[in-house]
Formats: sequence, structure tokens, C-alpha cells
Amino acid sequence: MTSVISRRLFGACAAAAVLAAGAAAAQDTIKIGVITDKTGTAKFYAEPVTEGSMLAAKIINAAGGVLGKKIELLIEDDQNKPDVSATVARKLVDAGVVFILSNTSTTATQQQQTVSLETKTPQLTPSNSGETLTTQIDNPYFFQTGPLFSYQINTLLAYTRAKQFKRVALMTDNSELGQLVARSFKAGLEKAGVQVIVEEVVQRGATSAVPQMQKVRAANPEAIFQAGVLGPEMVLFFRAYHQLGMKTPILGSYNLSIPLYLTMAKDLMDGIVIVDAYDREKPEVKAFEEQFQKEYGRPAFNLNAYGYDGVRLIADAIKRAGSLDKEKIRAAMQATKDFPATIGAKGMKYTFPPGKRTGFDPEGVVVRLIENNAHGRVVHAGQK
Amino acid sequence: MSDILELLVSAASSGCIYGLVALSYLVMIRPTGIINFAVGEWAAVGLFAAFFLLTNRWLPLPYALALIAAVAFTGLIGWGTQRIAVRPLVEKGAPILGPILALLGMLAIFRESISLIFGPDPHNLPAPFGLRQVSLGPFAGTPRDFFIIGCTAAVFVGVWLFFERTVWGKAFEAVALNRKAAALMGINLRRVTVAAFVGGAAIAGFAGVLYSLTAPRDFLMGLPLAVQGFSALVVGGVGRVEGAILGGMILALAEQLTARYADQIGIPSGMSLGVPFLLMIVFLLARPTGLLRPKEAAA
Repeated sequence: MTSVISRRLFGACAAAAVLAAGAAAAQDTIKIGVITDKTGTAKFYAEPVTEGSMLAAKIINAAGGVLGKKIELLIEDDQNKPDVSATVARKLVDAGVVFILSNTSTTATQQQQTVSLETKTPQLTPSNSGETLTTQIDNPYFFQTGPLFSYQINTLLAYTRAKQFKRVALMTDNSELGQLVARSFKAGLEKAGVQVIVEEVVQRGATSAVPQMQKVRAANPEAIFQAGVLGPEMVLFFRAYHQLGMKTPILGSYNLSIPLYLTMAKDLMDGIVIVDAYDREKPEVKAFEEQFQKEYGRPAFNLNAYGYDGVRLIADAIKRAGSLDKEKIRAAMQATKDFPATIGAKGMKYTFPPGKRTGFDPEGVVVRLIENNAHGRVVHAGQK
Repeated sequence: MSDILELLVSAASSGCIYGLVALSYLVMIRPTGIINFAVGEWAAVGLFAAFFLLTNRWLPLPYALALIAAVAFTGLIGWGTQRIAVRPLVEKGAPILGPILALLGMLAIFRESISLIFGPDPHNLPAPFGLRQVSLGPFAGTPRDFFIIGCTAAVFVGVWLFFERTVWGKAFEAVALNRKAAALMGINLRRVTVAAFVGGAAIAGFAGVLYSLTAPRDFLMGLPLAVQGFSALVVGGVGRVEGAILGGMILALAEQLTARYADQIGIPSGMSLGVPFLLMIVFLLARPTGLLRPKEAAA
């Protein structure tokens, strides 16, 4: 008897659950989860990316939305802590999102993949550059459109090819991401036959980079490749460089393209070249900057455009999928081909080649010069 | 040769910052026995207060005045912390671990409050110094380095005179030597505790201001600084004021010399990151009282 009751009860519950699911499926918005860092160490690059995402959603909705529905962004803060990041990813999946946009740091995004893989939820990072994101876990639901570190170093090498550097220095910090960038840079340099004669690390919380820079000065390299990501520690590096009266050319990773450096290291960065994926001369960028200025009342910069492209890519995939089925959306994202990018060199388009989940065009990275405490002109584009 | 003289200046200025943090710990530990790991966060309070006083648009203060006001404000925060997290526990007869844990809780409150008020971006404390290297005799460093060294020297002389030459200082020592006897002799324990926390916080706040002269800092700056200061304290010993600066200097020198020269004797320079911990382990094993023992114990 009891078993009959409990079976009936179970049946009723199951029916209620189906009804609830039906109601969720009949929702009138398309929910996209956004994971950003509002309070932690990655905030200064995660939040600008998210601003761009919000702008893209607004523009798409103003033009009628996707599949006749409005896009709704559910934004979560992960404090750039991988464990928290995975938890909020799960929260978003439970809330019924059809896609997760990861605007936080590479290490946090990596942890979210455990959730996207398990729950079969498509996930995209528009800005992360770690190569390991698509190599360590075979997760068909994960996509990446940030400029990979190997593209960055190869583009820097292409830019300096005429100078034929043979012996260079590599400078980073002891953060996880800084170490990751340095490893990628070193591999790229060695592959190109360039010897890293001195490799220095500024530790988090350090009070001086003078000993490290003395070593670099003594080793007398032809150039210094910069791979660190911690703001204060990289400022120590620039200060020591100036203090010791060094003149060796510095070539920076795309982390230095974050505008905050221009104020943190004011007057210390002029003449340095940095990797970027932004060209203000592009018509797409001009149109984007105009809309951004209108929405936020201040000028846009490179990071905003990553998040802007991220939401546009997702909307495009949902449109082509023609449904809110996560599996169909995943397949549509994988089939993305020649989608015009705001980010990247002139004419760059996003494509996921068959079997690959990195969509940034290897020729899309640019090298920019820092002039008068501002990101100046593009001096080189591509790996050739 | 010029390299090593350059390095000495850089290490001395780092050592001064570590030494000040160690001194902040010491001023509180001596009379109360409480290890307060929130000193790093107090340093952050000092720095962000100075930043606010210097750059706010209503009433930006002149440089020296802003620094003094920021240090005084941190002292006030030290009083408040003591009032909330130490006194109630001590008066209810909690074991010494009670206030130590309560202060760890305060640490999180300070850190997150700074993040909420000022945001998570690193803040650059304006400084009236250039970055060009200047020479002082054979020594070469930035004006910031020499400013840090000068200020620290002044603080240490002041604190040393306080302990050696004033009745208050003697009271501190008396409490440190024998709490009960000191109380019986008419020393007000509560007042000594208050003074220790106000003084400790003010010193930590000043250390934070000097620390931020080296690079922009964010709300997470406290922990590395608290760890370095604690290592310096273990090396120098909690017994005497001079121990704090000695420990700071030894720690900074060891760090920077390994970063600069270790690979020439076959040790990877990345090892310099472990130097503070290595030193701490060595001292805890071989000389747990630190280099300088209290005078009475030495005599």
C-alpha cells in the first residue's frame, strides 16, 4: 500500500517537474550566463569585457532579439577563485542558461569546464588566451576566441624578425597565469631558435625588482620579453628598468594592453611595443566605439570589444541552431565560419576549423607602440 | 662593485619596510602576548587613508600632513580593533588564542571593506619623487629608497627612546616580564594594551604608506607584507626593538642577494621566493628566540 502511495506521489512530483520544465522551455527570454570577476584580482580585465557583453546584448535586443526572443544575461561574480567559479557555473546551469560566457581569468575558466562538460552546456571565453584551456580537457562544449599566447609570441617574433634577435631575456611574475604566459613565450622563442639567456621572476608582494633587473643588465640581452600579469609587480619591473638606466627594447604580452597600466606605470612605458588584438582604424571598431560611447558616455577600449564579440558569436550560433537546444547550439558554434570580428587585425574573422575549438585567427594579432602614455598606432599585424 | 652597492640600497629600503611590520607585531606581542596577523591589513588601511587624504576632491591635504593624518587614523583603527576584538575576550578570561582568532576575523573585514570602498584596482600613491637613480656617496638608489630608509630610522629611534627612556616604556617592559607583578605594582594593564594596539597600528599604517611608494598596491597587499614582517620578527627576535629592524634587513638582504647571485653558485634564482620561509625554519629550529634576546634574559 505504502509503495502505491509513494509511487503515486512520485508520479505527481514527476508530472509537476515536467510541467515546470515545460514552463522553463516556454520562457520568453534566452538566458545566457556570464561569469565575471567583480571583486577579485581579475576584475580590472574581467569587468570591461563584461561591459562589452552587456552592450552587445542590448543592441541585439533592440534589433528584435534572437529567434524572436530577447537575450537575458545572468551575470555572476566568481572573485577569480576557481572553486567559486565552478560553483557559479553550476548555479547558472540550474537557472536554465543555454550558454555560459566566461569573462574571468584563464584559471577560473578552466575550472568552470568541469561543469560545462558534465552538464553539456556550451561555454565560450572571448578573452582568455591560455593554450591549456582546449588542450587539457577534451570538452566539446568549450570554445575560445581569445588570442592564444603562442600567436602572441609568434607575432612579436615576426615583428622583430628583421632584427634577428638571438639572445633575449624573459620577465614574468609568480602568479599562475604569469607562469603560463612565460612558458608559452619560452616555447615559442626556442622554437624560433632564439635563446632565453636570463629568465627572471618578480614575486607577488615584492618591494623591489632591482636584483632581477641587475641580472638582466649584466646578461646584456638584445631584448626583454615581458610575460607577467600582476600590475604592481610589473610596475616594479618598469621602475627598476628606468632606475638602472637600461635601454634594451621591451616587448610586452597582451596583458600590458590593459589601459590601467598606462596610469599605473605612467611615463615608464613609452617606446615599448605590446601585443594587442585591437585596431582603432577598423570600420568595425569605429562603429563599436561609437555605440559604446553612446551607451556608457566614455570611450571604449580593447577589452570591451572582447565581451562584445562574445555575445555576438553566441547570438549568431543560437540563430543558426534555430532552437534553444544546447546540443544544437553547440554544433552551431562549432560550425562558426568567417564571422566578422571587432577584435583583431583588419579584416579578421572568427572560424572554428573542424576539430578545433580555438576561433581566433592566428594572423589576427597586432603589435602596437605605446606613445605619450597611450596605446598608439599598430606597427605590425600577423605572424608573417 | 657598483652593482652590490646599488643592491644594498634596494635591500635596505625593502628591509626597512619589513622591519617596520616586524616592529608593529613586536609592540603588541611584548606586553600582551598577542600575535596580530591583521598588521598587513592595517598597513593597507594606512595606505588607502593616505591615498584618500591626498587625492580626494573636497579637501586634499598637503603631503606631510596627509601622511601624518593617515598614520593617526590607522592608530585610531588599532584602538577600535582592540576594543572590539581583544578587550572583551581578555576581560572574560579567554585564552590567548581567542583574541588572535578574533583578529584574523578582523583581517578579512578590513580587506573586504577596502575592496568595497576603493575597488580592486591597484592604487598609485602620489609621491613627490622621481624615479631616476641618485647617488649618496658610493651608494646609488632612488630618492624613494632614501626616503624610506630615513623615515624608518626616525621611527626606530623614536620607539627605542620610548622603551628605554620613558616611564611608559618601562611599564611596557614590566608587563612583558611579569603581567601579574606589574599589575600589582599599580600598572594599568588595560591602558598598556590600548597603547600597544594604537602604537602597533600606527607603525603598521606607516609601513603601508612606505610600501606603496615602491609600487601601486591593491586591497590584497596585506598578506604578503604580514608574512614578510613575521619572518623578520622570527629572525630578529621579539625581545628587543633593534631585533625587528635587524630581522628585516637580514631577510631583505638574503632575498635580494639570492635573486641576484644564487644562480652563479648553481641555485636557481627562483629559489629566492623561498628564502623567507627557509630563514624562518632555520631560526625556529636553531634559535627560536631570534637573534637578539631580551636584555634580562641575556644578562
